[in-house]
Amino acid sequence: MATIPADLERPRLLDRLTSPDALFVLIATMWLPLTAYVLLGRHLGPLQPYVLLPAIPATLVLYVLAIRAFRESTVAVIGTTLVFFWLLMAVTAPYLPLEDPNRPIAPFTLPLTETRDHFFWLGADGRGRDMLSRAIWGCQRVLVWGVTATLVAYLIGTVFGLVAGYLAGWWDEIISFVANVFLSFPVMVLFIVILNYLGASGLNIVIAVTFASAPAIMRIVRGLTLDIKTRDYVFAAQTRGEHPLYIMLVELLPNVRGPIIVDACLRLGYTTVAITTLTFLGLGLQPPDPDWGLMIRESARVALLWQFAYMLLVPALSVSSLILGFNLLADGLRELSLKD
Amino acid sequence: MTDRPQHPLVHVFARQLADGKTDRREFLRSATLLGVSSAAAYAMAGHITGESSVDPAAAQQTDSPQSGGILRVAMQVQKMDDPATYSWTQMSNQSRHVVEYLAITGPDNVTRPLLAERWEASDDLKTWTFFLRQGVKWHNGDDFTADDVRWNVERWLDPNLGSSNAGLSTFAAMVEPGDGGSRMIEGAVDVIDPHTVRFNLTKPVLSVPEDLYNYPAAILHPSFSPPFDVDPIGTGPYTFAEFEVGSRCILRRVTETATGEPFVYWGGDVYLDEIHYYNFDAENQLTAYASGDVDTVYEFGIEQLPLARSLPGTVLEARTAQTLCCRFRTDTPPFDDIRVRQAIVKGVDNGVFTDLVFLGAGDRGENHHVAPIHPEYFELPPLQRDVEGARALLAEAGHGEGLELTIDVGNTDGPWHQAATEIMRDQLQDIGVQLNINVMPASRFWEIWDETPFGATAWTHRPLGTMVLSLAYRTGTPWNESKFSDAAFDAALDEAEATFDVDERRAKMEAVERILQDQAVMVQPVFRPIFTIVRDNVRNLHAHPTVYHQYGQAWIAT
Amino acid sequence: MPALILRRLGQMLLIMAFASLLIFVIFDTPAFKKKLAVAELGGFGVATLSDEAYQNWLAEKGLDRPFHERYVAWVADVAQGELGTSFEKNTAVGPLLADRLWNTAVLAFWVFALMIPLALVTGVLAGMREGSIQDRALSFVAVFTTSIPEIATAIMLTVVFALGLGWLPAKSAMVQGFDGWQLVLPVLTLVLYGFGYVARMTRASMAEVMTSQYVRTAVLKGLPYHRVIVGHALRNALIAPFTIIVLQLNWLLSGVVVVEVFFEYNGFGKLLLEAALFGDVYVVQAATLVAVGVAVTSQIISDVGYTFLNPRIRFQ
Repeated sequence: MATIPADLERPRLLDRLTSPDALFVLIATMWLPLTAYVLLGRHLGPLQPYVLLPAIPATLVLYVLAIRAFRESTVAVIGTTLVFFWLLMAVTAPYLPLEDPNRPIAPFTLPLTETRDHFFWLGADGRGRDMLSRAIWGCQRVLVWGVTATLVAYLIGTVFGLVAGYLAGWWDEIISFVANVFLSFPVMVLFIVILNYLGASGLNIVIAVTFASAPAIMRIVRGLTLDIKTRDYVFAAQTRGEHPLYIMLVELLPNVRGPIIVDACLRLGYTTVAITTLTFLGLGLQPPDPDWGLMIRESARVALLWQFAYMLLVPALSVSSLILGFNLLADGLRELSLKD
Repeated sequence: MTDRPQHPLVHVFARQLADGKTDRREFLRSATLLGVSSAAAYAMAGHITGESSVDPAAAQQTDSPQSGGILRVAMQVQKMDDPATYSWTQMSNQSRHVVEYLAITGPDNVTRPLLAERWEASDDLKTWTFFLRQGVKWHNGDDFTADDVRWNVERWLDPNLGSSNAGLSTFAAMVEPGDGGSRMIEGAVDVIDPHTVRFNLTKPVLSVPEDLYNYPAAILHPSFSPPFDVDPIGTGPYTFAEFEVGSRCILRRVTETATGEPFVYWGGDVYLDEIHYYNFDAENQLTAYASGDVDTVYEFGIEQLPLARSLPGTVLEARTAQTLCCRFRTDTPPFDDIRVRQAIVKGVDNGVFTDLVFLGAGDRGENHHVAPIHPEYFELPPLQRDVEGARALLAEAGHGEGLELTIDVGNTDGPWHQAATEIMRDQLQDIGVQLNINVMPASRFWEIWDETPFGATAWTHRPLGTMVLSLAYRTGTPWNESKFSDAAFDAALDEAEATFDVDERRAKMEAVERILQDQAVMVQPVFRPIFTIVRDNVRNLHAHPTVYHQYGQAWIAT
Repeated sequence: MPALILRRLGQMLLIMAFASLLIFVIFDTPAFKKKLAVAELGGFGVATLSDEAYQNWLAEKGLDRPFHERYVAWVADVAQGELGTSFEKNTAVGPLLADRLWNTAVLAFWVFALMIPLALVTGVLAGMREGSIQDRALSFVAVFTTSIPEIATAIMLTVVFALGLGWLPAKSAMVQGFDGWQLVLPVLTLVLYGFGYVARMTRASMAEVMTSQYVRTAVLKGLPYHRVIVGHALRNALIAPFTIIVLQLNWLLSGVVVVEVFFEYNGFGKLLLEAALFGDVYVVQAATLVAVGVAVTSQIISDVGYTFLNPRIRFQ
């Protein structure tokens, strides 16, 4: 990947945020409730209405911290703002004064009109459901599944990359070969195979994205590891007689973190595109719950007239702004890491 | 009127028509069913009621038809291995003007003779005699004879062929169980003379002509070997000029036989020079029409109606008995408890679906799968939603604290399936039932359609109300997806199916419909309309309730 | 170098063998056989079949034999250039695949013909003066177009140019034979999505070269700015994008699926999706071989080209 910054020894990206521990707590406070809310839904029982409450302040604090940390890069600030806008929408959706996103009210109502005692800011779709509500609710699934899928891909890719790069030899041969198989395997076949065995769900997307992305991530991490393992501090650890596992996790992992985070932001963008595309082809998330990819899919049948184009524009602009956010964030982080 | 001996009942019907006891449409159906040629029946109907009556196939002919031109149709172009094992209507449309059927059901849901000139049924409806049209030629120059018919029927009944015809009432009454599956009974198809063939059935069957227009029941030449598109021999006016699966199917007029002699189509004038089917997936067909690629489309869904209405051309709508059965597996918990089924049925208000899903089009379903357009439809008292009663039943069944259910939806007829189940979900919340909607790709749904405990299955239109009941709810039939088994129902249906007179049959349908309703086998919310669109210069093209293309009389005005 | 290519080709064969074996195993499961039966006979058709009739049907399709037997037979056939018959399309896989690949190649040709000049010019113009307004504006355009999923672009273009203005055909099914106008929208969709990535890589590479010692020296020597750019910077700046562009070949092969499906363009991607959904195992197999071939070939070209353009790099 050409995205790897030259400077590998001083990954200060995270250091810019004051205290990593507090940061992780905040991220967890934001992310875990959101994931639980989307994955478990009604199974949360009486907790359901309250689960997302702690995530709201966490998201706001994280946003302020991120803006402060990235203030030197306008691009990063814009990217962060876009991403956090949707994060905030995702965690506040249940508390906003929105219409039920699945309730049909008035089909084909144009934006900014009032019909049947309901004011439609962004209009209603062909089934009469409020587009504003659907757009806001729709970001939950895209965010949760997109981030989860990328995260899993990174976990697996990084582990194999570290092993292949550090242990080399047969480990490297085998892992690289398997990675090559998956890299050249038609992704579409993979998706359909998984779909057939596991049914259409977010899990399907996680596995599909993992298969499609992990080999590439593995290559990046492997390359970085090959470079870093010749450094003095790795030799020092080896002479101390540390276990390879310790060296990989403690000496190597933190040093490949910086470039990976930049790459991860880019990949989050691709993953979001992939989810939208898969959903359009009917292989990803399934109705009835609102989702941007599904909204685009529905609009492909319905929104083929000028006056109904808003049915496409609303989800398309939403998903594009999120992807743009990820991409700008990646650009900004790279810019920042080069400045360090 | 014909001078051939008529079935005694024809006169009865004629009297009923005159007395106003039966309507014109019903008379026409019954009379043609008894083998009066359709022209004769129409003439008779006009004679009896004093109205002028024309065959709709000949109607709307304000201008005189012009010959020539190409009709371009957007449809999925699928493979045509063997017309007897077709699995999709689209396949049969490709070959519908090449190979023909003994009978034909028109856009008005009336079945008339086609390759047969007329037919006669015995009083007990167990013996059907088909008098074949004379002078019909195969594309290779052979004469069409009764032996050809026998060859085809025997083939359909070969258990190794896997033709879905074998499941239809007519053909199910020609087989006996044997080792290696059921076998055709000796003498079930009896060739009387070269143009007369008799079907001897083990039990009364009402729907023999209708079954003979089932889409895999096209009559093939006995020299047939798959795949059909390589050397197609039919009796129809067209043959394939070009064929590529997933791309195009081009039909051209047959002008000469294989031996070089001129071929004259028995059916008289046909106007189109060519029919072109171009492959467009369901969701793209209307777009293809909008951008001028085609003159008409196979079908478009309700969600595209606003788009279609904004386009030049005429939107055609057919009232049908196509429906969605949200049926329970009556042998699987919790649906083996009739109280649970009844509670769910009571919790749904069937009255809202036509408005909410079809913008007012379509017909209300009444959970017994007989449609108002069926001749024997008996109108039961309207269904009432009963939330309190449903709650009470659930509590009685031990689900007082609420019940969580999942319905499998494949959207096999388009996204309206999901729309309908979503309405059900909202309504069922009121009775404490949490309905999860598990949407899956259509191809996946067809793998599990008869196995899932609770699923939304699409059933196509069949001309008679008894036909689908016989296929779907009779004990032990292969398509009995609900595994419903009720001796009283089977007996009542047998009786209705053995009754020729429509008024009497309608009276007998009361019991049939009531049992299905009371046993709460399904929520069957709505009968859907079918939409297509056609350019204004294309004349005499009709929307058919089963989307069968009948372009023989269509023509293009210049 | 030849040793490297040979090694890569050997690896390709191994990957092909492994991938095809994997697909065979998957499609040999009862679940996938039933999928194929449902696709062929319809859900209602399969429900009518008795167990025995189903077995007969499998035998007729040649699916009853144990999979290793079928796999060996298939490998032997492929070695002789015989790719089998499509269940869905009822035709030989070879010509079918060749036809669809050709269509995708035509599409890819126009995508590359438009995308590469556009991306390189944008990237070079942006990277030339890093941080300038020009750079900011061009970079934003590049990142923005890449942020819109292809499917959204495709629908929007259809609404505006095909159905709204009526300038272009809405679908690309080529029902009346090849029609160049029908290629415009799919090509445009792919270019809009794809060019940003290459442009950003070019920009990064250009920006790096512009800060390098010899370009600075050339500027200090007083050479005219455009001579510095054309004579010195460009050649070195284009090495990195070259590899990216060649690897885009691989992206196209899977990235076209949604575009081909939406525009009904009969190319490789649409064929692959249909075959996978139908359970058309021989088509999927052949397509996989092609995909592996394209992936490995583009890697080899990329490596060889990189070495060729940049003699300082040697593969050990």
